[in-house]
Amino acid sequence: MNNLKRLLTRRLQAVPNKVIILVLIIAIIGFADASYLSVEHFQNVIPPCSLTGGCEKVLTSSFSTLLGIPVSLLGAIYYLLIAIGLFSFLESKNHEVLRVTLLLTILGLLASLWFVFLQVFILHSYCVYCMGSVATSTLLFICAVVIFERYEKSLEL
Amino acid sequence: MNTKRFFFWLCFIIVIGLIVWGLIVAMNKGSGGTNLAAPAPVSVADHVLGSSTAPVTLIEYSDFQCPACETYYQLVKRLYDESSSTMRLVYRQFPLDNLLGNGQVQHPNADAAAWASEAAGVQGKFWQMHDELFANHTDWTELADPLSVFQGYATKIGLDLGRFKTDMSSSTLHDFVSAEKDEGIHLGINQTPTFFINGKVITNPQGYEQFKALIDAAATSSTQ
Repeated sequence: MNNLKRLLTRRLQAVPNKVIILVLIIAIIGFADASYLSVEHFQNVIPPCSLTGGCEKVLTSSFSTLLGIPVSLLGAIYYLLIAIGLFSFLESKNHEVLRVTLLLTILGLLASLWFVFLQVFILHSYCVYCMGSVATSTLLFICAVVIFERYEKSLEL
Repeated sequence: MNTKRFFFWLCFIIVIGLIVWGLIVAMNKGSGGTNLAAPAPVSVADHVLGSSTAPVTLIEYSDFQCPACETYYQLVKRLYDESSSTMRLVYRQFPLDNLLGNGQVQHPNADAAAWASEAAGVQGKFWQMHDELFANHTDWTELADPLSVFQGYATKIGLDLGRFKTDMSSSTLHDFVSAEKDEGIHLGINQTPTFFINGKVITNPQGYEQFKALIDAAATSSTQ
């Protein structure tokens, strides 16, 4: 296990800043999206029913909170952690931090799959903000896979 | 921590702080149409509560199946109960029966609920049916066929059930609901509920106190 960690960390040592900044921007977009819904929740905003539809049903459903905590807040915390991890790497070049941050994107992907399932099969309604979050967390995961794969290849050369 | 690292982290915290601050400020400004045309004047075809001489007229475009309309029902009911001397309330139909991108109707029972209220209105009991539909919102919104529930409400409020059933399927009544919605679309309405105070659209208030303040301000300005 420790060897695997060391191997992964070594492979990440040549991560270009441009790639990390791109991933950081995606994480900040996800943070803004999830924060918007969190602020709406805590300000007790009553989401109106729009002609383009769906959000009100998703945001007022029982799935919108987990043990009383709005899932949007959990999402905002997740994106913030990712952003802090990426920023921390840019600032310190600590590859262990980057490795853990990239692995965290699996959580976001799993949560996104759950939210898509809920919207398609249970609620039969779509919320543009939730789908936006699905897009950002999926992109984050893809970026993480690409980064890992890229360094896998760089080692083979 | 050296100065460069401190500056780096400070920038990060400022960016995150600005995002959160921006969202809070933007949301405090509220949402909702502010460029809508004025609705048609109140007519005999409208469902009206309160005196025609009241200084404030609150027109609501609403959909019985919309969860937000159900939430605002509680606020508007209390508002009318406490301000009936200064305001009259007008309800207009705006059922969200449109097809969504996934091929499903947004609120599949909205039309039937609107027809039920209008059918009750034919017998002079629109507001009683309006109250039943909102007060028992969760009992019918998810049903595949809510008609038997609506017939139950009709019996409960003392309607002639045979006539109610006939009126529910009347094309004249269906056309009236569609025309009212079309008028709303023509005004530029794209969400429910949408409220107009004395002909001017308002940003949906977040809570009773805010709503009451708007009504009181309109009453004051129209009596000056």
